[in-house]
Amino acid sequence: MNDRAGEGWTRRRALQALSCASTATLLPGCTSRRDPEALTFWATGYEGDYAPHLMTAFSARTGIPVETQSLPGTAAHEKYLTARAGASLPDVMMLPSGWAGEFAMIGAIAPLPDPALAQDTFPGVMRPLTYEGRAFAMPWSVGSQVQFYRRDLLGEVGYDTAPTSWEGWRDLGAKLKRRHPDRYTMLMFLNWWDTLITFAGQAGAYPLRDNDTRGHFRTPAYRHALAFYVSLFADGYAPRVSSNELQDPLAAFAQGWFAIYPNGPTLLTDLHRRTSEIAAGAWGVARMPGPGGPGAVSAINNSIAVSTTTRRPAEAWALARHLTSVSSELRFQQMIGVLPARRSAWRSAQLAGPVLRPFAEQVEQPAMQPTIVEWERIRLEVQIIAERVVRGGLTIDEGLAAMDARVDALLAQRRRLVAAGKIA
Amino acid sequence: MAVTPLRLRAIVLNALIAAVTFVTLVPFVWMVTVSFMPRYESSRYPPPFWPSRWTLENYHELLTRRQFDGAWFDYRILPAMGNSLLVAAISTLLGLVLTVPAGYAFAKLRFRGRERLLKLLIASLVVPGQVAMLPLFLIFRELGLVDSYAGVILPSLAGIFAVLFVRQATLGIPDEMIDAARLDGAGEVRIFVSIVLPLLMPITVTLALFMFLGSWNDFLWPLIVLSDQHHYTLPVAVAAISREHAADGELMMAAAVVTTLPVLMLFLALQRYYIGGLLGGSIKG
Amino acid sequence: MTRQERSAWLFAAPVLAVIALVFVLPTLLALGLSVTDYSIYALADWSNLRFVGFGNFTDLLATPLFWRALGNTAVFAALGVPMAIGTSLFTALLLNDATVRWKPLWRVALFAPYVTGIVATAVVWRFLLNTRFGLLNWLLAQIEVAPVDWLGDPRWSIPAILLFVTWKVFGYNMIVFTAALATVPQDLMEAARLDGAGAWTRFRHVTLPAIGPTLLLATVLSVAGFLQLFAEPYVMTLGGPSQSTVTILYFMFDEGFKWWNLGQASTVAFVLLLLILSLTLIQTRIGRRYEWL
Repeated sequence: MNDRAGEGWTRRRALQALSCASTATLLPGCTSRRDPEALTFWATGYEGDYAPHLMTAFSARTGIPVETQSLPGTAAHEKYLTARAGASLPDVMMLPSGWAGEFAMIGAIAPLPDPALAQDTFPGVMRPLTYEGRAFAMPWSVGSQVQFYRRDLLGEVGYDTAPTSWEGWRDLGAKLKRRHPDRYTMLMFLNWWDTLITFAGQAGAYPLRDNDTRGHFRTPAYRHALAFYVSLFADGYAPRVSSNELQDPLAAFAQGWFAIYPNGPTLLTDLHRRTSEIAAGAWGVARMPGPGGPGAVSAINNSIAVSTTTRRPAEAWALARHLTSVSSELRFQQMIGVLPARRSAWRSAQLAGPVLRPFAEQVEQPAMQPTIVEWERIRLEVQIIAERVVRGGLTIDEGLAAMDARVDALLAQRRRLVAAGKIA
Repeated sequence: MAVTPLRLRAIVLNALIAAVTFVTLVPFVWMVTVSFMPRYESSRYPPPFWPSRWTLENYHELLTRRQFDGAWFDYRILPAMGNSLLVAAISTLLGLVLTVPAGYAFAKLRFRGRERLLKLLIASLVVPGQVAMLPLFLIFRELGLVDSYAGVILPSLAGIFAVLFVRQATLGIPDEMIDAARLDGAGEVRIFVSIVLPLLMPITVTLALFMFLGSWNDFLWPLIVLSDQHHYTLPVAVAAISREHAADGELMMAAAVVTTLPVLMLFLALQRYYIGGLLGGSIKG
Repeated sequence: MTRQERSAWLFAAPVLAVIALVFVLPTLLALGLSVTDYSIYALADWSNLRFVGFGNFTDLLATPLFWRALGNTAVFAALGVPMAIGTSLFTALLLNDATVRWKPLWRVALFAPYVTGIVATAVVWRFLLNTRFGLLNWLLAQIEVAPVDWLGDPRWSIPAILLFVTWKVFGYNMIVFTAALATVPQDLMEAARLDGAGAWTRFRHVTLPAIGPTLLLATVLSVAGFLQLFAEPYVMTLGGPSQSTVTILYFMFDEGFKWWNLGQASTVAFVLLLLILSLTLIQTRIGRRYEWL
C-alpha cells in the first residue's frame, strides 16, 4: 500500500494517517487507491468483463491508464442514477442506447463535440442517442434479435431453414409437437421483453400515442402481435418459463429441449465456445419471423457516452473514439460477439460469413421505438402483464387494457409536462 | 443396564439437539469444502460433499491480480476487505464514543427533557430505518458524502438501540457509588471515566461486537451510497461479482468463506460476551 | 443549568445530533417528499417539482405491483414469523432441558448463522437450493420426492427464502428465550409435576405465562422485521420469479433508486411505517388483554 516505502514514516505521513484514522475519515477519499492518472470506464455484462483488453492499446498509445468497472446488468440503471445524483459518474461509460435520452435530460452525459462522431452507422441507430436535436452518445454495437435454430431437429420434420413467417412458425411448432410431445419449438423467457416487442414491431404496432404520452396497446396491430405471442405458449410450442427457471438455456438448446432460440449476437460467442456440446454445423441463424415474412425489428444497441462531470473531457472523448473505432469494434466482435455499430467495420472479411448475414440484413431495417425516459420501465411492465396473459390470469383484451392503464399511469407526469410545454 | 425413562429421554433430547446443530452447520461446512474443489466439480449429481482433490485455485483466482494479454483483471476482494475492516473499525470506535456516555447520561444524570427524549428514542425503535433512506441519500449528496466512507459510517452511528442498551445496563450501578464520588469533588467526566466505564466494560465489549458485526455485514446502504469500486466494502464487492459468476460455484464459495470466516472467528473468540450480553447474565454455562 | 446538566448534555448531545441528522431530519423530509411528485424530471430540473397531496397515495392504490408486494410481504410474515419463532422456541426448550449436555457448545453453534452476512450466506444457500446440484433436492431425492425448483418456481420461491431467513435468524431469539426460560419458577414446575401434570400442561400453565412477555416482544419485533424484508429477495431472486418475492421494501427500492420516483417511494415508506405501527399496537393490545405485558 505504501508505494514509496523508502521514504519511511515522516511526521507528515504519520499525521496524515492519524487524521485518516480519526474524524478526518469523514472526508471522502482518504484511503482511495485509485490511480489519479487513470480515466474511469463503466460497462455491464461481457463488455465490462472484457473491456480491459481494449484499453491496453489506448494506454500504450496515449500513456493514459484506464480503469474499467464492471457493473452487474441487473443493477446498472440504479448505479448510474445514484452515481449521477452523487456526482460520482466515471469519465466514460457504456449505456444501452435506450437510456441515452434519459441521461442527457438529467445532465449526466455530454453532447458529442463533433457531429462527425455520429456518422458511419446504420439507420435508426442515432435516433435514441439524440436529445433535443443533439447527439449525446457514440454508437458502439448493434444487436438485432434473430432466431437461432437447430438444423438437425428442423430437418427431422422436413425443413432446411427456419420459417420466417408467423404462420410458418406455427406450422413448424405443430409438426415438432407431434414428433416430440415433451419438447418445445421456441424458447421465449417470460420475463424478457424482447420477443414480444419484436413481434409488435413487425406487426407495425407502435406502443404509444399522443406525442408519446399515452399507451396505444388496444389496437388491431398490437392485439395481433400479442395474440400470436400468447398462442405459441397456449399451444405448447413454447414453454412457460422465466430465465431463472432455466439456469443454462444453451445446454437445453444443445440437448434439443427446444429447437429455436430467439436471441442476439452475443449468443454466437457462447455457441463458438461450447462446440463440445453443440457442433458448429448443428445450428443456423435466420431473421425473426413476421406476419408475412421478415420485417422491421427493433435492435438492442449499446453506445458510449462521456460524463458531464469529467475533469478531462478531451482525453475522455479520445477514449470514446478509441472504443468505437473500427479496430476496437472488430476486436470486440472477435472476443465477445457484439456486432460493430460502424458501417465501415462491416467491410471486414471477419463479418462476411453466412452466419452474420441475417444480422447484416436486419440492421438495415430497424423498427421504430419510443425514445422517452419512461420506455425502459414501460417495456418491463408491459412484459409483466404479457406474462400474466400467458399464464392465464388475464384474457388478451384484458391484458391490452391493463397495459394501456399501466402505461397511462406511468406517463402521467410526462403528460403534464408536455401539456405545460416543459418537454417536447 | 436397563434404560430408564429418564435416560431414554436424555438420549433422545441430546440426539435431537445434535441433529439440529448438524443441520445448522451443514451450509458452513459445505461452503468450505466446495471452496477447495477444482472448478466445476460441485456441478455434479449427486452433489459431492468432499473435494476429490483439495486445491487453492479458487482462492488464488479470487484474491490475486491476474494479467491476460497485457490487461489486468482483479476482483478486488482484498482491497474490499481492507475497506470493510476500516469502515467497521471506525464505526465501532465512534459508535462507542457516542453511545456509551449518552446511555450513562440517560440512566444516571438528571437533565431537563430527559424523560421525554427517552420516550421518543424508544418510540423511534419501531420506525424502519428505510423510511429515512431515500432523503438521507439526498442530504448526503448535498454534503458531498455520497461515494465516501463517511457516507457509509455516519448512518451506523445513530445508535438508538445502543444508547438504550447502555442505559439499561447502567441502571444496575448503585447511585451511592456515583454520589460518593461527587461528594469527594470528582467532576462528572472523571466519574464516568474512572468509576462507571470500568463497570460497563463487559457490556461495552458486547456492544462493540454488535457494532462491528453490524457494520461488517451491512449491505443495503453501502450498495446505494458507494459508486467507485475502490470504495466497495466486502459484501458489495461480493454481490457485484456474484451475479456474473453465479455458475462458478467454487469461486463464489471461496468468496463466501473469505467474507464469513473473519466474523465467525471474531464471534467464536468473543462469544462469551456476545451471548452473555444477550442473556443479560441470567444464565451460567 | 447545573454542572450535572451541562455534563449530561455533553454526553448525550453528540449522538442526539447524529440521530437528528441521519434519522429525524430524513424521516421528516420523507414526509415532505411523499406529497410531491419528485421524479427523474425533478432531478433534471427543479421547476418540474409539484405538490400533489395524497396523489401518490391514490396512485399507489391503483398500482397492481404494489398490491402484489403487499400480498407477498403478508405471506412472508404470516409464514415466516411462526417458522422463525417456532424454531427459536423449540431449540431454546431443548437447551433448557436438564438432561441436555454441552449447552454452551450447542448455543454457540446454533447462533453462528446470525453473525454472518447476508450476501455471503445467500451465495451458499443459492447453491443448496439449486434445482439440479443442490443438497436439498438431493436429500429429497433420497425420500423419493421429485426435485423442487426452489428459486425458479413462483410457488416455491417464498418458502425457499423463508428457509434461508429462518436458518439465519433463529439463533437470536433462541438466546432471548433461553434467558426467559431461566426465570420460570422451578418450585411451581415441581409442584405441577407432583400434581401429575403432563409435559404439555406444564408448558401451557407454568412455562408459557412466565415467558409470555418475552415471547410477545419477540413476536412483535419479528413481525416488524419480516415486514421490512428486502436484502434476502434482492440477493436470492431479484424479486422474481414472476414478481413472487417482491416485498414492500423491494418495491420501494425499485421505485426510488431504480426509477428515481422518490415521491412515490417515500409514500411507500410511510405506508410501511403505518403498517408496522398499527400491527405493533394491535399486538401489544392483545398482549395486555392476556396480561402478558
